[in-house]
Amino acid sequence: MKTPARSEPILATHLHARGARLGLPIAGNFELTARCNFSCPMCYVHKKDAAVPGELTAEQWISLAGQARDAGMIFALLTGGEPFVRKDFWEIYGAMQEMGLMVSINSNGSLIHGKTLERLLADPPFRINISLYGGCEETYRSMCGQASFASVVEAIRALKEAGVDTRLNVSITPYNLQDLDRIWEISQELGVHAKATSYMYPPVRVGGDTAHRLSPEEAAKAAVRWDMLRFTPEVFAHRAKALKSCEAVELRECAADLSEGVSCRAGSTSFWLCWDGRMLPCGMMPGPEVRPLEQGFAQAWEQLRRETAQIRTPPQCAVCPSRQVCSTCAAVCVTETGRTDRVPEYACRMTAETIRESWRVYQERRKG
Amino acid sequence: MKIKKRMIKRQIGGETFLVPLGKAVYDSNGLYFLTEVGAFIWDLLPQAEDEDQIVAAVLDAYDAEEATVRADVAEFVEKLRGLEIL
Repeated sequence: MKTPARSEPILATHLHARGARLGLPIAGNFELTARCNFSCPMCYVHKKDAAVPGELTAEQWISLAGQARDAGMIFALLTGGEPFVRKDFWEIYGAMQEMGLMVSINSNGSLIHGKTLERLLADPPFRINISLYGGCEETYRSMCGQASFASVVEAIRALKEAGVDTRLNVSITPYNLQDLDRIWEISQELGVHAKATSYMYPPVRVGGDTAHRLSPEEAAKAAVRWDMLRFTPEVFAHRAKALKSCEAVELRECAADLSEGVSCRAGSTSFWLCWDGRMLPCGMMPGPEVRPLEQGFAQAWEQLRRETAQIRTPPQCAVCPSRQVCSTCAAVCVTETGRTDRVPEYACRMTAETIRESWRVYQERRKG
Repeated sequence: MKIKKRMIKRQIGGETFLVPLGKAVYDSNGLYFLTEVGAFIWDLLPQAEDEDQIVAAVLDAYDAEEATVRADVAEFVEKLRGLEIL
């Protein structure tokens, strides 16, 4: 059975649209800690120390969340690192719920058992996103540094069975590429929606080493394989034809004034608070950066909106025939090239190969 | 009238929403939107003994026909009961 992707609730879409008009920070991402019990090499934040100097206290997180709430925030995502490594996680979580925030959690799932699981079931989040890194213990050992596969699957099963809105995030890398089909099977067995991505941003916040990701062509093939798993043959064929049709679009003349701004909600209705209190439009971007602890949230948010609105993406991307296929954005550009207005070659190659590979699979299936 | 689920009323951008809390999250699809009059009635619910008291309060606050208000209040209360909020 193919699990359809659920779209965003209508009210959330409405709130973001209204928030964009009114300048409201509708959604906040709270990177509660840089610490993680896993050590995935492609990750942008995974410190192993017991304590990290500069990590905000529970009191500071609660204060910032309260200020963001007063400014209009309704959706809050608690992430990390691994948020459950914080001993005071429940203090922050409970306080944010009591503020009338719809709190979601990102977790690797390995610490969700015993009392943590009981507490989650008794006081469920709006949604929990579990990163599933592989389909067996061996992959977990090589990618995450520990054999947590069984316990993660058990946590997903328990959350799902209790009725908690549980979803899977799948990061496809050289370490778990061989498990892709198995990961899909597990999501189907558990009845949990899974979202996979084979594009890994260069982790610029920790040096930017790209040795732990797939080549653009490998990433494209993995993305197409995932499409083959998640779509019916009819939907896949429709998509392959739509992708192919991009090549027929005539290139328009390129002009500098065609460059566009940030296309998503980052810095428009959403923000990312790093573990050390810096606020960014999104967690992947190195800037613009503001300091809500020093400035106060409202002033910091205004500055972030202003500075994000100045960002421009490459004019070449605005007129590229593959624009509707390519998932490039300001964050991709700046992490790949150091500038938001420079074309990210990795994305170009990945997009071209995605179109090629989808068409190849479609033709092969037609021939039977 | 007893509100059975933990819900918090929020004003966001001039609009009013109900946010489910705790186990109420299990039964909801997320947020609930309240119209201006819906938000007014929501605040009355804990003290109101029946729909008549709510209708009287709405008629005091708004210029409207009693029959219309009575029908609207009944519909609103019925919706809340359907969602097992009341």
